[in-house]
Amino acid sequence: MKRTLLTGNAAAAWGARLANVDYIPSFPITPQTEIIESLSEWIDNGEMPGRLVTLESEHSMITAAGSAAATGIRTFSATSSQGLLYGMEMLYTVSGWRAPFVLVNVSRGLSSPITLEPDHNDIFAARDCGFLQIHCASCQEILDSILIAYRLGEDARVRLPVIVNMDGFYLSFTREPVVIPDEESAREFVGNFDPENIHFSASAPESQAVAVLGGGPYSYFRYETHLAAMNGLAAYEEIAEEFGQRFGRSHSAVESYCADDADYLFVMLGSFATKAKEAVDRLRVCGWSIGLVRPRLVRPFPASQLQHLLADRKGIAVIDQNISMGMGGVLHSELATALYGQSGKQPILASFIGALGGRDIAIEEFFEIAEVIKQAASSGVTPPPRLLYTREELREIRKLQAVARAERDELNNNSGHKKGEAQ
Amino acid sequence: MYRIRFHGRGGQGMKTASRILGTAFFLEGYEVQDAPRYGAERRGAPIFAYVRADSKPINERGIILNPDLVIVADDSLVPVPAAGVMAGITAHTLLLINSNEEESEWRHRLNLECPVLILSLKEEVSERAELPYIGATCTGASARLTGVISNRALEQAIREELSELGTTVIEKNLENALAAYESMADNEGAITEGGLASADSYALPGWIDLPFEDARTSAPAIYAPATSVEVKTGLWRTQRPIIDYDLCKKCWWICGSYCPDGAIEVEESLPIIDYDHCKGCLVCVAQCPSHAIEAIPEAQAQALEAETQEGEQK
Amino acid sequence: MSEKIEKMIRSTRDLPSTHLLGTGTPMCAGCGGLEALNGIYDILGEKTVFVNAAGCMTLLSVYPFTPFRGSWLYTAMASAPAGAQGIRDALDILLEQKRITTDDDLEVVVLTGDGAAYGMGLSATSGAMERNLDFIYVCYDNEGYGNTGQQYSGATPHAAKTATSRGFAGFRGYKKDLFSIWAAHNPAYVATVIGAEPLDLAKKIEKLRGMKGPRMIIALSPCPTGWDFDPRETVHIGQLALKSGIWPLKEYIDGKVTHTKVPRKRVPVEDYLSLQGRFRHLFEPTRNEKLLDEIQARVDSYWEKIEQDEAEK
Repeated sequence: MKRTLLTGNAAAAWGARLANVDYIPSFPITPQTEIIESLSEWIDNGEMPGRLVTLESEHSMITAAGSAAATGIRTFSATSSQGLLYGMEMLYTVSGWRAPFVLVNVSRGLSSPITLEPDHNDIFAARDCGFLQIHCASCQEILDSILIAYRLGEDARVRLPVIVNMDGFYLSFTREPVVIPDEESAREFVGNFDPENIHFSASAPESQAVAVLGGGPYSYFRYETHLAAMNGLAAYEEIAEEFGQRFGRSHSAVESYCADDADYLFVMLGSFATKAKEAVDRLRVCGWSIGLVRPRLVRPFPASQLQHLLADRKGIAVIDQNISMGMGGVLHSELATALYGQSGKQPILASFIGALGGRDIAIEEFFEIAEVIKQAASSGVTPPPRLLYTREELREIRKLQAVARAERDELNNNSGHKKGEAQ
Repeated sequence: MYRIRFHGRGGQGMKTASRILGTAFFLEGYEVQDAPRYGAERRGAPIFAYVRADSKPINERGIILNPDLVIVADDSLVPVPAAGVMAGITAHTLLLINSNEEESEWRHRLNLECPVLILSLKEEVSERAELPYIGATCTGASARLTGVISNRALEQAIREELSELGTTVIEKNLENALAAYESMADNEGAITEGGLASADSYALPGWIDLPFEDARTSAPAIYAPATSVEVKTGLWRTQRPIIDYDLCKKCWWICGSYCPDGAIEVEESLPIIDYDHCKGCLVCVAQCPSHAIEAIPEAQAQALEAETQEGEQK
Repeated sequence: MSEKIEKMIRSTRDLPSTHLLGTGTPMCAGCGGLEALNGIYDILGEKTVFVNAAGCMTLLSVYPFTPFRGSWLYTAMASAPAGAQGIRDALDILLEQKRITTDDDLEVVVLTGDGAAYGMGLSATSGAMERNLDFIYVCYDNEGYGNTGQQYSGATPHAAKTATSRGFAGFRGYKKDLFSIWAAHNPAYVATVIGAEPLDLAKKIEKLRGMKGPRMIIALSPCPTGWDFDPRETVHIGQLALKSGIWPLKEYIDGKVTHTKVPRKRVPVEDYLSLQGRFRHLFEPTRNEKLLDEIQARVDSYWEKIEQDEAEK
């Protein structure tokens, strides 16, 4: 065991190394690339066994990861953003092969416009594909979650691939203290993978992932995959409990912070949730009864835990770092689904969209969010969804737009410039 | 509402048949739905298509489960469960079979209460190249059975739906379809409209809570070799290759090697055709250098087989 | 290796008398691709895992039926070679770790149509070759997107009528030279085959079975459904593809291309074309001499060059 400073990417590489992975199909993409670079270096230096192969695309990378897992070896891979979407067809495909492996996604906003900075639209695009999802808030959690993810995916009740998600830049490139478990205890915890009937072998012919005809068989195979994913809820709790006992770090499916007695709650995913924790501390100093709830497990969705945690509150602010075009925040919708029809008084469930493309959330904004839900609770009127966006930011974009339009404005005898400002 | 289902083989023009009938209804002022149902199977394999027609907009969709008229373009499909010819047939359904056998024979064989009509086209379609005409012919007969489609509408529908195929094909189809239309004059309007499921008393769907089964059971994987032999693709065959062993030169390899389906086994230098799986492509007939393999229509082969069996029994 | 094949194949009498692949597949009657696959599978045998891409042969395995006596994995249209990479690497790792013995090792075989091979999957194929993946690639080439109703693909020959080239001149593009594109990667082996020439096919598969690295096969697959001819003509049309010189049988090893069967007296291409509905517009209602001459000229110029090269040797 060693406590040291690691970036999120380095923590992910350590997670894969300690999980004793056999095989790493890879493809570079910012801000993930350091993960595969670290693993490649360790393998080249003989510091870890295993084989790393760079494919020619993420689509191929996910295919190779899935087919290697389906041959019965422990497989790891990593991607981000456009890469996750480029491999999307295969995310759906390989999950149906029912062969577990772990994929790290370093969240990054999706094109267009293109950006390198984080938000969660990439990982939510993969919401329904059959991979389980663990969302991390710290570099420590990334390492720990990868170990947990192998146990979870390989569990006979589950047998599905798992995505461990972290925010680009905010975790991927940020160093913070991380405890690296010693190899022996990590390997004891993760255990050897017994692939049972997951194999391609001359002595046991198998035709895998065949076509089906008709909705009946298709429904059966698809719904069984759903049931296996749902089994992940109980399996996760058991595995996280065992992890806690062994390593002294608790990673329950839903983290709650100062939430037990709180009238008001922030609900968030990922690393920005630690900012919300900071806001909770300061609000509590000022007498607020407020806390934070952070789902760590997003697929399967821990609905009953969230129903229990969110029951009988006055107001809940869901801060989504994603946007479903034409609908709004995805986590907000999912929570509304989980809470609808529950007995007792329904809390105000307000939607805030923030941190798109890495846009920061200032602590004052958390204070203001708390104020908005407090007023809503007293009036009983749910406020409309709020994009966290300031007058100053609009002024900045106006300046950029003015530059972007300069040539056209000159052609138009500068008339467009005034029009632009008036808007 | 009229609910009409066409059964045939891939290549016999069942989709076209449903489209011609759909268009004909439409020309007569009806609201219409027509659609083919494709599976994984290819030319020769059982397929079906269906038509709904009503005086008001149609809300039903998908496969017709309670047909008023079922048209069977190829009678060898009737006993094939996978073809689903008999699905949903009740006493009120009219069954129109393209067959050389008598109505009474079918009624007896299938223990049917429903009316059966025979359309006899077998002779005309002994050549595979003429298979597409079956569809239009069946449509001609069924149009008359509805009692609401004029021969003018039928003709126009055929011209519209086959416009791409050129004049010769259209004329040949028209000729067959109108003859079939005339042949059903005595049964004009024979189709009756079926009853609808009542919301007051209905068969329970029998829902269950799907139990979880682990991935060893519930992954779409096959753990046994060569299970495809369970699929009797011999049912696709419309022409049967028959080996004349007196002419066979025991070349050992030609017919067996070339058979795309691996349906010819050579034992002791004698080729044996696996009729359970021979799709009737007739590559063996074309390739046998000593012309020892001959093709005869499948129906004829089956009749000969039945005669032989009867003879043996006697 | 198939147990049925114990000796070297030198003549047609050495060909297996009965095919190894199971019967009862949903391929069309007279499928030239299935015919080629039969010949290939006879030699490769059941110690194989076929990695399939979307195409007609996706439907070889429809739950719970498979014709394979060995294994199979269906991937997706673009990435079958990557699926082969994952399995090959995993088997190597399992062998290294002594978790399996060589008895359980498998030959990894990619099986795709021309749609995947010439188009969507070309990048994954290129990647597998550049990584020197130890695998066999079989493309059954029926010169169009057959499983969706024969739209033109990168493999469609000039002037062929397809569902997306119905005009009087048919397909205006030219069949991509996939053999050369593959050969440019310098893989261990590249060959063209056809089911209608089973001895040449068997010899090539036997040869590549003894090799390591990427071994690439394109099987021209006469397609009664897509090319519009009577299924009984499948082999005949395949033979005419060879006799007319339209489909050269050749192989590439160590930078060298060898023609394994040179049609010394070529029949006119129209003997081959006129049997197929997809070329009927070249003959009816009037002969399109210009297009026919163009197709003939391209074939002639190909063989003139080959004959020249041979003469120079």
